[in-house]
Amino acid sequence: MEKASENNSHRRVKSRWKRAGIAFAAGTSLLFGAVYVSANAATVPSDPAGGAGTPTATAPGGAGAPTATASSSSDASDVVTAANAFLDTLDEDQQSSVLLDFTEANATAWSNLPCGSTCRVGIAFSSLSDEQLTAAKAVIKAATGTGTDSGNDQITQILAADDYLGESADGYGSGNYYLAFLGTPSADGTWQLHFGGHHLALNLTYEDGEVEGSTPYFVGVEPTNWTEDGTSYAPLSGMYDAMSAMVAGLSTDELAEAKLSESFSDVLLGPDDDGDFPTAKEGLKVGELTDDQQELVLNAIEPWVDVADDTTAASVLSTYKSELDETYISYSGSTDLSAQGDYVRIDGPGVWIEFVCQDGVVYSDQIHYHTVYRDHTTDYGGEFSF
Amino acid sequence: MDRRPISLSHALRMLAGIAVTVTAALLLAAPPAAAHPLPHSVLLLDVHETSVAAELELPVSDFSRASGIALDDSTTTGQLSARGAAIRRYLAAHLHPTTRRGAAWTVAFGAMALGRAEQTSTGTYRELTVRATLTPPSGGDPRRFVLDYDAIVHQVVTHTVMVSVRRDWAAGRVAEEGRDDATEVGVIRIDTRTMSVAPLTVDLKGGSVWSGTYAMFRLGADHILEGTDHLLFLLILLLPAPLQAAGNRWRGLAKTRTAVGRTGRTTLAFTVGHSTALALSAFGRLDIPARPVETFIAFSVLVGAVHAIRPLFPGREAVVAGVFGLGHGLAFSLTLAEMNLSTTQLALSLAGFNLGIECMQLVLVLLALPSLIRLTRLRGHPALRGACALLTAGAALGWLLDRLGLANPVARAADSVGTHTSSLLLVLVATALPATLRLITAHRRTRGGDEETQRPGGTETSGDTGTSRDTETWRHGGNAARAADAS
Repeated sequence: MEKASENNSHRRVKSRWKRAGIAFAAGTSLLFGAVYVSANAATVPSDPAGGAGTPTATAPGGAGAPTATASSSSDASDVVTAANAFLDTLDEDQQSSVLLDFTEANATAWSNLPCGSTCRVGIAFSSLSDEQLTAAKAVIKAATGTGTDSGNDQITQILAADDYLGESADGYGSGNYYLAFLGTPSADGTWQLHFGGHHLALNLTYEDGEVEGSTPYFVGVEPTNWTEDGTSYAPLSGMYDAMSAMVAGLSTDELAEAKLSESFSDVLLGPDDDGDFPTAKEGLKVGELTDDQQELVLNAIEPWVDVADDTTAASVLSTYKSELDETYISYSGSTDLSAQGDYVRIDGPGVWIEFVCQDGVVYSDQIHYHTVYRDHTTDYGGEFSF
Repeated sequence: MDRRPISLSHALRMLAGIAVTVTAALLLAAPPAAAHPLPHSVLLLDVHETSVAAELELPVSDFSRASGIALDDSTTTGQLSARGAAIRRYLAAHLHPTTRRGAAWTVAFGAMALGRAEQTSTGTYRELTVRATLTPPSGGDPRRFVLDYDAIVHQVVTHTVMVSVRRDWAAGRVAEEGRDDATEVGVIRIDTRTMSVAPLTVDLKGGSVWSGTYAMFRLGADHILEGTDHLLFLLILLLPAPLQAAGNRWRGLAKTRTAVGRTGRTTLAFTVGHSTALALSAFGRLDIPARPVETFIAFSVLVGAVHAIRPLFPGREAVVAGVFGLGHGLAFSLTLAEMNLSTTQLALSLAGFNLGIECMQLVLVLLALPSLIRLTRLRGHPALRGACALLTAGAALGWLLDRLGLANPVARAADSVGTHTSSLLLVLVATALPATLRLITAHRRTRGGDEETQRPGGTETSGDTGTSRDTETWRHGGNAARAADAS
């Protein structure tokens, strides 16, 4: 009996947690219901086609062509212009929550979790008016790449994914994303564009009008694909395809060399693991591969690099290309990238990419993706030594 | 506690929790900080005088991946016990406590079970729980050691282990607190730079005999305050103390001296009864089954309630209190039994715990006494007493059914009273004050009456029968109080 009662107490503690959790969910559902509704109300008019990079009201060009001025040759000054335009829409209080100091604490305040302002800094999208939200999204758009399933298109889809997830569970939605400028946006100073929410952390660091670092970039998605209003979404499909093609190009022997002995249930270097890169690289050395295989590795890196504006992305990719010989690729679980624990890593002198499949939280019968892109030297623009 | 099967207290605490959390959430307009989306392992430590009891909580998904031992959502208890030996072997290879100089502790694994658990943002998941006893080499300090524990983490490199102390008698951590209240002493996770898992140094400071004993005193006091059934038993037994039994009815008032004496004897007998049983069962380390004891206590309350309506054992309340007190003592010992204390700690715990019980009991009886006496002086007293007794009987029946396995709202409501200890005390004080004042004024008037009766022709015939009875009995009460002081 005593053992039983101890077990009972054990179970009760858990069920207390559980009940508290359910109760909390119930308590906050109202709150997030409201946030969700207002976020939707805010996004619907400015986001008609569901995130495929639709030009905003300011774009004069035809429907088919992306705005020629803003996207094709985007540079830091465009981002500063957009940032200032956004700031101009805000009142003083709002500006003070967006304009923050470029400190390590603020820069590293990101997470893959839907933990809102408890783990992030900046202004909540849910608190913005339509006009302010449009201006905020214009900043992200000016700063990020123009590709499909990468850059701005990917980010827009991640927010849409959270609205979709919010239909099934509480606490998710595009209103629960936060934007901050760490340091003052300028063409000659050092500052960081810091944006994120559930499954998203964007950190673009500018110095003297150039992007000094486009990492850490965390992106994840649950479910991995969905259809809404006749539009199909799969924001990480480009990354998945590129990684799959890379491992598919390896021979049995190469696969054996690339296989890691450890298992992964998430990315190794997630939030708060800044600067903690393994000192020894593991897996298969890319320098030993054929040109075709090396090409596949570079192709696999590209979707992550493409988060930054196109000019920056091209420059970063050429750096990674020059470092390919000293870059290692590895995997754990299976190469199918279809089950919990399936994991791929690219680890070079600069680049660090992890892509992992893990069990869903809301759609628990499916897997979902987490991936993080870091750079050994230019995370947060190399401003901090961890 | 004997209220363990009941969860209303938890439910109420949870309600309070919700209120706080929701308010906080509304204020912050954000969800709470989430820990980790994937369940981590937990290592709960109960620190004893010569050993440490550990409870290993392992999410089965990562456990299976790391150990190669198949466990999942569909694993049955039978399959678990078939894999028991393999599980113990795996854990033994990954749990190495040592002294700080590196001398190995012994590790003995105990019971294991599968259950469902949930952590922040994880959803529910299946968890394996394994108990182990960690013992330092003879003379070793169980409060300072190096814990080399890397189950799961050695393989699933993204896994983490939260290590917490749940119970630590010498540090005054004795209450039945869950892991949410446990004190975190460290996190075990891989160092991603070296890809290695460093052992955790555990150094628990501040252990002393006094903090343990004092914590037990407080636990005893809380126990009687929160233990509605113990308190109700005593109070219902005291309810008819100021009354005179005649045949099978309560008729008329006993002399106040008799009433106070009876109250004193009943309280003392209850104390002797439960102290004896508590000491015997604790030192005898008897394995007391909780349910019969709790049923017996519910039955004792019921008997007390019936006695308050119709005298069953008039004048022998003390004997009954003593006998039933034995049962209540056994219930108290359940609390001590699950602490697995050493003999020294047990002796000190027993002293502290019992003293806490007695002190709180004395305070409560003293607070209730004026009201109990005053109650019998009221005109509607029989009806009031009947109502109290019926209410108590209702609660007792609820408890009886509950302890027999039929959970019911009556028992839950009755138990919940114990969670509102401050309101309970407030009510007692609020009723004790006017009751005492009323008794004192009646006493003064009696004195005045005495003087008046000495004056010839100065008798008054005013005042209803209630008042005259009041004066009559309180005079005795005054004597009794003086007698009690002298003794």
